This record gives sequence, C-alpha cells and structure tokens, in this order.
Amino acid sequence: MLTDGLFILFTVFAVTGAAGLVLFKHPMNGAMSFLVTLISLAGLYALLSAKLIFAIQLMVYAGAIMSFIIFVIMFLNIQEEDLPIEEGRFKYLIGGVIIVAPIGLFLSRVIKSFPGADAIITVEGFGEIKEVGLLLFREWLLRFEIVSILLLVSLVGAVVLAGTRRIAK
Amino acid sequence: MTNDFMLLMPLIIITAGAISLMLVAAFEKVTIEQASFCCMGIFGIAFLMQLSNCITGNVTPYETVFNNMLVISNFTRVAGLIILGCGFFTAMSAQTYFKQNNFCTTEFYSLITFSACGMLLLTMVQELISVFIALEIMSLAIYILVGYDRKNKTAAEAVMKYLMLGAFAGAFFTMGAALIYGGAHSTQFSSIGQFVAENGFFNNPALVAGSFFVLVAFLFKAAAFPFHAWVIDVYDGASAPITGYMATGLKTAIFAVFANFLVADESLRSSWVNYLFYFSVFTMFVGNLIAIGQDTLKRMLAASGIVHTGYLLIALVAVSADNFSGNVILYYLAAYAVGTLGMFAALSYLGGEGEKRKSFDDFKGLAQVRPYSAAAITIFLLSMAGIPPTAGFMGKFFVITSAIDAGQIALAVFGIISSILSMWYYLRLIISMYFHEATDSFEDTTSNGLAPIGTFILAACVLIIGLYPVII
Repeated sequence: MLTDGLFILFTVFAVTGAAGLVLFKHPMNGAMSFLVTLISLAGLYALLSAKLIFAIQLMVYAGAIMSFIIFVIMFLNIQEEDLPIEEGRFKYLIGGVIIVAPIGLFLSRVIKSFPGADAIITVEGFGEIKEVGLLLFREWLLRFEIVSILLLVSLVGAVVLAGTRRIAK
Repeated sequence: MTNDFMLLMPLIIITAGAISLMLVAAFEKVTIEQASFCCMGIFGIAFLMQLSNCITGNVTPYETVFNNMLVISNFTRVAGLIILGCGFFTAMSAQTYFKQNNFCTTEFYSLITFSACGMLLLTMVQELISVFIALEIMSLAIYILVGYDRKNKTAAEAVMKYLMLGAFAGAFFTMGAALIYGGAHSTQFSSIGQFVAENGFFNNPALVAGSFFVLVAFLFKAAAFPFHAWVIDVYDGASAPITGYMATGLKTAIFAVFANFLVADESLRSSWVNYLFYFSVFTMFVGNLIAIGQDTLKRMLAASGIVHTGYLLIALVAVSADNFSGNVILYYLAAYAVGTLGMFAALSYLGGEGEKRKSFDDFKGLAQVRPYSAAAITIFLLSMAGIPPTAGFMGKFFVITSAIDAGQIALAVFGIISSILSMWYYLRLIISMYFHEATDSFEDTTSNGLAPIGTFILAACVLIIGLYPVII
C-alpha cells in the first residue's frame, strides 16, 4: 500500500518536473525543474529494487551532470532580456497534447496488459553491484564498449561545434 | 578461410581509423588534404577487406563474448560494402569541395569515419539496445557534419531541426524497445522472433505497440511519409558531399537494420506488410509532388530521395522472412547510391564557392562549357529516373518484379506510375543543361581535384552495375 502511494507520488513529481522543464522560460528554472524529475526517477528505481541504478541516478545525474548544467547556465549568464519572445506557445502546447493524446490512450491500454505489482519478477541479488557488474561485463560487453565510441563522437562534436577553429590550411 | 576476427576487420579498421584521425587532428602540421587522403585510404582498405570475406549462412562472431550481438551474413557484407564505398567517394568529393569552401578542419574526416562505424554496426547488430547505440553513433556524427559550417544560417537551421526531430525519433525507438522487452522478455531479434512464433503477435499489445514505435523511428530515419518533412531542409542545409553521404550511406544502414528487424519472424513481418504498403505508396507520391515543386537542385534531389525510399519500402514489403537474402533491396540501394553519390560529387566541384550555383537555371548550358561533366550528370539522372541500360533501371526492374512475385500487383503498378512521374524533374535538369545557351562560364570550378575523377568512376559504375547485375 505504501509502495503504491510512493509510486504515485514519484510519478506525479517526475511528470510535473518534466513539464516544468519544457514550460519554464528561464533555463535556470528549467534546470531546477529537471532536478525534480531526476530525483523522482531515482525514487522509482529504488521502488523497483534497482539499488545500484538508484545510487548512480542520484550521484551522477542529480549530482554531477546537474551541477554541470547549472555551471553552464551560470557561465552564460542569461538574463531575462536575452531570452527569445515565445508567442503562442500555449497554442502549440494544446495542439501537441491533442496530437499526442491518442498515443497516450493507446499506451495506457498496453500498460494494462503487463502483470500487476503483486507479481514478483526480481531474482535473488537483483540490482546489486556485483550482479550488475557481471551482467555488464559478461553479456553486455560489446554494448558497453560501443557506448564509448558514442561518447567519443559527442566529444569531437562539442569541440567542432563550439570550440575555436584553426581554419585556412 | 575466414575467421571471426577477419569478418570484423572492416569494422575494426574503420573504428581505429576514426580514432587515429581524431588524434591526428590535434597536430597542426596535418593539412585537410592529407586528412582526406587518409580517410580515403581507410575506407579503401576496409572495402577491400570486406570484399575479401566470403560468408556462407549466418555467422555469429565471438558468440559467447559478444553474447550473440552481431550476426554477419552475406546481406550485411554487401550492405557494408555499399556503406564503405559511400564513405570513400564522400571523402573524395569533400577533398575538392573544400578547395572552394573554407570551413573544414581535420576532424571533418574523422567524423565521416565515425559515422561509417555506426552504419557498419547498424547492419550487423541483432539486438534492440545495440541498434539504438549504433543508430546514435551514426546520427550524432551526421548531425555534427550537417552543422559543420557554423557561419551558414541554413546549416544551423538544418542541424537544429534534424537534432530535435532525430532526438524525438530516438525517444520513440527507446520506448518501443522497452515495450518490446516488456512483451517478449528479450531485446534480441532471434528471441523476439521465437517468442512471436510461439505466442502469436496480435494478442500481445506491448509487442504490437513496441514494434510500432520502432518502425516509426526507422521510417523517420529513412524519410518515409509521414515523417519526411525534415529531409528537404536538412539536405539543403548540409554541404554537398555530406548530403550525398546522408542520402546513400545512412539510408543503406537504416534499410539493412529495418530488413533485419522485420525478418526476425514471418508473422511479425506479415502483420506490418499491409501498413507498409500504404507507407510506400504515400511516400512515393508525396515525394514526387514535393520534387516537382522544387527549384533548387539539392532540394529536388532531397525530395527524390523520399521517392526512392518509397521504392525501397516496396522491396521491403516483398521480402520474405524464410530464406531471406535481401538481394533486391541491396541492389536497389547500390544503384541508388552510385547515382546519388555521383550527382553530389559533381555538385561538389560545380557548385562553386559557398555553393552559389543552386537552381536549375544556374546549370543552363553546362553541356557546352563542361561537356563531360554534363554527360556524367545525365547518366546519373537517367539512372535515378530508371532508364535502361543504367543501374537504376535494373534496380527498379528487380523491385517491381519482386513485388509482382510477392503478389503485390497494385504496388508494382504504383511504382511504375511514380517512376514515370519522376521523369519530369530529372529531365528538367537535362533539358536545362543541353537545350539552353550557356550563361555561366564555370571558370571557377576546379577540375584538378578528386571529385571529377570520382564522378567519372561513379558514372562508369552506374553502367557497369546496370549491365552486369550479378556482381552484387
């Protein structure tokens, strides 16, 4: 019963935070709102007994990545007058909701087909560091390695698109 | 005798090459010219390696270590060959393109190689999460290449649109993968296929919804109707060599993984075939309508890319999951790739500084000033329109006969009608090149680069592939 309540609480917070991220005009407010989403997601992981992911979500996402985002926003020093004027964004929002609504209804039907909360699907030691590590480096080794290429590409991209360039050769 | 390591060699060469090009970019002494030669060398060696591999049946390299993630077959081999060829000719035309356009750095070639690495992975992976990672490696590198010219506003707009919509498609894909996992308890194509074969498809809503979302993501990346809206602006904003690369290499990779996913199980495929039918018909006709209305060459080629996606979808509708070889798809992709790459290679050196020659009128009378280039462009256009004896004709012929064999007569008829419609905009350029007086002297276009050579090699390829279809 308590878990159901917590689940509803975390989901509401996660969705509200995500909506806030999109709707707030100032990036700093958006970032704070995003933090709410990240922490509620950590709560959801905890409810799913994914202990390691819960800790990583808090430390890496809500901690490290979030502070990076805030550093960048502070570094850019965005004032109210720097922001673009967004006219009629609520019109777009309502239009978007109308387009997405059928997909939402469809998905809610899909979710109903999953087994309920009373079904136990976790095994002994689920979500522990050792189990995750074994899985990651045994069965998911190649995915783990190719993700590093993905990170490398984004690194090069950041340098190319934002860094100073030595052209003219 | 080919072992697992040799089968993966092209991928390893490409990845190692991309990383070393990235490292080399840190040295001031390396010029972009040298980088382009290195890039061509990497692609060339990888191509020869891929060519030398003989594969019979499905090979799973390093089965236990990689946990069945990669599956190599003749289908992936040929798809890889097309991708590597695309990379080679892209580097070739970029070499000349950047003699006239000054925004290149050495990282450019590293990113081309990185995206080829993603594409090669995409042809081989047989598991949804790895598909997602490979898709993102490819797409991220392409996003950056599209927006490489930071001072160009159209390029900035293009990369913004592409990034946003691409992220949207990526989100759809991830949600689809999660739902498929919920429905079938696995993300591996073979296990999903097994699950569907045992438990049926339509009585499992999660599986239906999941595969729907995955299909949406693939259709988006392949630029099929109704997810085609981004293509025109993005192709227009990117530099000519990159547009060619996107239109050919990326499409090859997407269709390879699309086919791999669909043939995981026969009932999975047949349940989507009816919908793909409508997608393909609408894609062809909407693409044609858009192409007819375009005035600039690049936008016309982008729209014609949508039409070609429609033909490829016909081929996809007609494949069968039992004894899948995918020859028709691959042949069409190869035929389309040589034509489009050649077209963009020609545009790379004829476009002039800042791609100032854009519209059909700018190429008026090209045949008088540059007769060989005009002839090569004509060959590419005829191939894209599907006129014998070019590769494009044979490609369309195979697609349409395979549709008839699969009992999709209506689709074959629609394909023929659409190919007649497409003559309109392909012939328009030929007419403006041949039947008008030259107003431009095309003096600033360099003929001592690699792009003209690439163009003529590709023009020869169009005829060779058209006359000897067996080699693919």
